[in-house]
Amino acid sequence: MKGFTIWFTGLSGSGKTTLAREVEEILLERGLKVEVLDADIVRTNLSKGLGFSKEDRDINIRRIGFVCNLLTRNDVVAIAAAISPYKSVRDENRKLIKNYVEVFCKCSIDALTQRDVKGLYAKALKGEIKNFTGVDDPYEEPDNAEVVVDTGKETEEQSVAKIIKTLEILNYIPRVEDANEYSGDEEDEIKARLKDLGYI
Amino acid sequence: MAFFFKKKKKKRCCVVGLDGVPFTLLEVLTRNGVMPFMEKLKRDGNLRSMTVTLPEISAVSWSSFMTGTNPGTHGIFGFMDLKPQTYSLTFPSYNDLKAPAIWDNLKEIGKRSVVINQPSTYPARPINGVLISGFVAIDIKKAVYPASLVPQLQELGYKIDIDTMKAREDKDFLIKELYSTLAGRSKALDLLWGNEDWDYFEVVVTGTDRLHHYLWDALGDNSHKYHQAFLDYYNKVDSFVESTYKRFLDVAGDGEEGSEFLLLSDHGFTGIEKEINLNCWLAKEGYLSYMKDSPDSVADISDSAKAFVLDPGRIYINYKGKYPKGCVESAEGESIMREIKEKLEKVEFEGKKVIQNVYRKEEIYSGPYLDRAADMVALSYPGFDLKGSVKKDVVFDKTVLQGMHTWDDAFFWSFGRKKDNLNITDISQIIIDNFKS
Repeated sequence: MKGFTIWFTGLSGSGKTTLAREVEEILLERGLKVEVLDADIVRTNLSKGLGFSKEDRDINIRRIGFVCNLLTRNDVVAIAAAISPYKSVRDENRKLIKNYVEVFCKCSIDALTQRDVKGLYAKALKGEIKNFTGVDDPYEEPDNAEVVVDTGKETEEQSVAKIIKTLEILNYIPRVEDANEYSGDEEDEIKARLKDLGYI
Repeated sequence: MAFFFKKKKKKRCCVVGLDGVPFTLLEVLTRNGVMPFMEKLKRDGNLRSMTVTLPEISAVSWSSFMTGTNPGTHGIFGFMDLKPQTYSLTFPSYNDLKAPAIWDNLKEIGKRSVVINQPSTYPARPINGVLISGFVAIDIKKAVYPASLVPQLQELGYKIDIDTMKAREDKDFLIKELYSTLAGRSKALDLLWGNEDWDYFEVVVTGTDRLHHYLWDALGDNSHKYHQAFLDYYNKVDSFVESTYKRFLDVAGDGEEGSEFLLLSDHGFTGIEKEINLNCWLAKEGYLSYMKDSPDSVADISDSAKAFVLDPGRIYINYKGKYPKGCVESAEGESIMREIKEKLEKVEFEGKKVIQNVYRKEEIYSGPYLDRAADMVALSYPGFDLKGSVKKDVVFDKTVLQGMHTWDDAFFWSFGRKKDNLNITDISQIIIDNFKS
C-alpha cells in the first residue's frame, strides 16, 4: 500500500484527535502502518518552545507537514491532528505531500463553547487565554478539504465512516463494503467449488 | 509532394497463462507432437521451469504473479483464511489483495490493460482497461469491469468456469465443458483484441488445471478411456496459443519495438499417490484434540489443542492471546514448532518420505502481512497431497481427485532468457521493466 497523509484541521475541541485515533485504529486493523502526529504532543517535543504567534504556528505546521511527508513517502499513513488555522501553510503542506487528504472538522463556536471539555473556551471568552483560535485569533476555513465532517451534528461513527469512505473512493485503501463479504449463497458456492477441486 | 511514413507499432505485451501446466509435461507434449506450436516456440525461444510461492495453489500463485510479491506482502495465503483473532474462516477476495497488480502499476505509466479470466480478481474492480475475473468468481455481473461488457459476454456464451460439481462425476461432461469454456475465452479475446486500444493483454486458460484435477491418471495410461481426450484438449490449447501469438505478431510486429509475448503457468502438477490429512496426524501425535466427536471446522478444537492445520499444509500454533482457545505460551511455541517439523519430516508411507520440508513463515515470506501467515508451511514430496480437513480420521487417504499441485515445476516461456532461477514473483517486474525500457 502507498503511504498517504490525513490532515485533520479545525478549531480546538472540534474532534480532531478523537477522529484521528478512531481512523488510526481502523487503518491498523486493515493492516496498514500508521503514525499519528497530534499537535498537542508535537508541541511537547518537536515544536517545544514555540508559541502561538502566527509565525510560530506556521513553523509548527510546517514541521508536522515535513514529518508527514517523510512518513508518506515511506509508505506509512501519517495522520496529523492540528488546528492549523492558516490556509496558506496548509496548502504548502498539500503541495509538499504527494498523497494528501484534508479533513475539516467543522463545528460552530456555540457548540464548542457548550461542549468545552477542557474549559478553554470559557477562559478565552473571559480573556484569560490570549491568541485563542476562533475567539481572538483567526481560523481560515478550508475551501478544498477532501472531507468535511460536521462534528456538531454528526455522530463520531458517521464522521469516521465518511472519512474511511473517502479514502476508499480515492483508492488510498481497498474498499471493504464488498470485500470478502460474500453473500451466504455466494460463500456456499465458493466453498462447494473449492471442495470439488480438492482445495478445501 | 506527399510523404508516407510507416506507422511505428507501439510496444505491447501479451501474456497467456495456462493454469497448472507443468514444465515437465510441456517437455513431453512438445516432443510427441501433441503441441506442435509450443514445440516451435520452444525452439525459437526459451522454455524453462519456474518455482512458485508456497502454498502452491492458484489463489496464492496468481496473486504472487499479479503483484510480483510474496504472500507476506500481497496478503493472500490460501483460498481461505482465518479471520483475525478467531477460528472463523473467510474466503479472501480481490479486495484483500494488498499490493498493486500489474495493471495498477501499468496505469501509473499510462498503459491500458485487457485481462481475461484472471483468477483471484473477484469481485472485479475498475482498472485502466478491461478486467474479467476468473476463479473463484461467481456472478458474472460482479466479475466484469466495465459492467457494460456483461451483456456482450453473455451473448457470446462466456462462462467463468466449468461446472465442477457435475464434472467431478461425469467425465464426458467435463470434456465438453473444457471445450466450451475455452471457446468462450477465444470469443472474449476476439471481442476485446481489436475493440480495445491495449498495451497489455492477458488471457488465462484454467481448463488445463481442471483436466488435471479429474483426469491426471489418463495422461500416462494409454488404455485409459480419456487418454486421447486428455491429449486432444492439450492440442486444442496449443492451437489457442498459436492463434493468439499470430494475432500478436499482427499488432506488435516482429518485436523490434520491444514487444513481448510471454507464457506461464501458476504451478506444476503431478499424480496423487495419497492424500495426507495433517489434522488427523496432529491429533494422533497429541497436538490436536476437539471439543466434540465429529468436528465441523477448526472452531471445534479444544482449549488444549496446541496446533491445527488449514488447507493445504498451513500449520498454526494455537497461541494464547492470539486465538480464543489458545493455550500455547509464546515461549513454548518454538519447541512445539521444532518438534512438529522434526516429526513430520520423518513421516513415511510404504517406505517413502512424505514431507520434504516444513518452513517457518519467516523463511518463505516477508512483508507487512507476515503476522497473518500460518506459523509453518509444510511442503510435501510429489504424490503426497496435503489436506487440512478436520473430518478425516485416517492420515493416508485416497479420493476421486487424481492430480495435485507442485511448486517447482511451473513453466515460463519468453523469446529471450530473462533471469536465472525464475520464481513467479519475478514475472510482473519483467513485464513492467519492459514497458519502461
